Amino acid sequence: MSSGGLQLENISRRLGARSLLHEISLEVPAGECLALLGPSGCGKTTTLRVVAGLDPVSSGRIWLQGRDITRLDPGRRQVGMVFQSYALYPHLSVEGNLELGLEIRRVTAAERHRRISTILELLQLVELRHRRPAQLSGGQRQRVALARALLRQPDIVLLDEPMSNLDAQLRDNLRPELRRLLCGGRHPVLYVTHDQQEAMGIADRIAVMSNGFIQQLGTARDLYDQPVNRFVAEFLGRPAINLLLPQQGHQLGLRPEHIRSVNTGGLEAKLTGREWLGNQQLLNLETKRGQLKMLTSADWTPPTELRVSWDQGRELWFEEQSGERVK
Amino acid sequence: MNFISHFQGQPFATNKVESYSRGKSLSLLLLAPALALLAIVFVWPLLRYGWLSFHADSVITGLVAIPNGGANWIRLLSDGRFWQDALQTLRFAGVSVGLELVLGLALALALHQRGPGRGVLRVLCLLPWALPTTVMALGWRWIFNDPHGPINALLLQLGLPSQGFLSTPSTTWLVSVLADVWKTTPFVALLLLAGLQSIPTDLEEAMRLEGASPWQRLRRLTLPLLIPYLGLCCLFRVAQAMGVFDLIQVLTDGGPAGSTESLALYAYLNAMRFLDFGYSASVMLGMFLLLLVLSALVLVVQRRFQQQQELT
Repeated sequence: MSSGGLQLENISRRLGARSLLHEISLEVPAGECLALLGPSGCGKTTTLRVVAGLDPVSSGRIWLQGRDITRLDPGRRQVGMVFQSYALYPHLSVEGNLELGLEIRRVTAAERHRRISTILELLQLVELRHRRPAQLSGGQRQRVALARALLRQPDIVLLDEPMSNLDAQLRDNLRPELRRLLCGGRHPVLYVTHDQQEAMGIADRIAVMSNGFIQQLGTARDLYDQPVNRFVAEFLGRPAINLLLPQQGHQLGLRPEHIRSVNTGGLEAKLTGREWLGNQQLLNLETKRGQLKMLTSADWTPPTELRVSWDQGRELWFEEQSGERVK
Repeated sequence: MNFISHFQGQPFATNKVESYSRGKSLSLLLLAPALALLAIVFVWPLLRYGWLSFHADSVITGLVAIPNGGANWIRLLSDGRFWQDALQTLRFAGVSVGLELVLGLALALALHQRGPGRGVLRVLCLLPWALPTTVMALGWRWIFNDPHGPINALLLQLGLPSQGFLSTPSTTWLVSVLADVWKTTPFVALLLLAGLQSIPTDLEEAMRLEGASPWQRLRRLTLPLLIPYLGLCCLFRVAQAMGVFDLIQVLTDGGPAGSTESLALYAYLNAMRFLDFGYSASVMLGMFLLLLVLSALVLVVQRRFQQQQELT
């Protein structure tokens, strides 16, 4: 195998008769951040735990920086992980939380001190170093968890929904911050989330997962413009893509921002509701081919009866049964 | 405080003073039944015993309480049997509780492991605790009976002489500790198991990622987080073991030669055998004071442990 980064080769994990992961293969080069995106139960967290060694694999191989770590003990994998709950040791101060791992790895006191002060500085935790986790805010706890993960100079950083315990505004502020700290280093990053905005904002590439399969892997732009199937098309994009009633075994998907009002032709539509979004508005339309959501400029006052069409070339066709995209 | 502020929002509360007094009187009213119960079963007997301990009340006085101006207390201070029993009870409590904490922790850690039949095992482990003390004390007395008990039967079959386990002070004491440990280790294990289950699994996983061995995980994570639970066990068990009565009465009746007599047993003997209720009250209160000091000690040690943790 190639030397740098993380490679998963046909990873499967079965629990009794249930298949949690199905032949997962992916590659994350050093310095890249890959987001695993999907609804709960899709296998994204399991993938992360398999890489960390907290869950065993049923078959397949895991390579990290050129080493086969498939059967390696979690403590010997050089993995830095940020848990969803942050998993900070409640009985230890911020400093104690950072120091414990280094003590276990028998790092000398001088070296421990040097590394801890560097990371405290980097994450702006110097003033908080004597506090207990219970005395920290959610964002501060996240920084401590991140510091702990980075401190051991890991070969890979794993993050399990690190933003899910924070409020929306803080998340917006933290996304670029997190990206600056994590990405472009000497290690690859795996980032698990169910929030597409977070995935797009932080990751270089995104793997959309469902039912233990990787549905599609690519840049956010690829996934949005060229989804391989209906699941990916529906999962990405907010407001969600419009799926019209199927005709002759095919289904038409139209993103709300690609729908236009026209004078002649197109579909007859009746306005059933308006949602004002500030800079834009979302119109709810009723047509004979199903309901449509349409995104338009906020200062346009739509008539109750109108005709709509879509930007040519932006429509997506799916097979009705399989959901696969037809090109 | 919550209770009071809750009532401040009510429409009938026209000003803070009124709502405060209203909340206070209402909270007292709601506490009254519990306080009354405590007064009847705890405060009243204590006061009554305090009163009695300053009176002579025995067969000699015709079971009429006659004030004797602290003669009971003076007698207590120079009563060799009382202090001997106090030492014996302390030794019994210290050794039993110590063993129970160690074994209980081991048992709790074992029961905490995932595995088939865990539920059944947990129930099985609790059985000794569910058994009435009298019944289990009789059981142990039979097991160590000389020469008909199973252990002596085994010794005889092996061609060894039978042993008077319950007629030699040293072995009798050991049997009483064994019986107590056997019965109450499950209780300690249950409390500690609850403590273990309150520790989130991802903390354990974070330690595994640090490369910590099972021993390091126990010492650096599990034990520090269990300290409040260990303290609680200690408090419960020390108080219980210091007042041990039924186990000793049935198993050895304080013998041989008073070597296993506990303070509770001595107080009981004074009242029920020697019919000296005044002195019995002094013994009982003396034991109560000892227990207070001991409980305070346990609390101080626990607090010290937690403070030490906070410093590191």
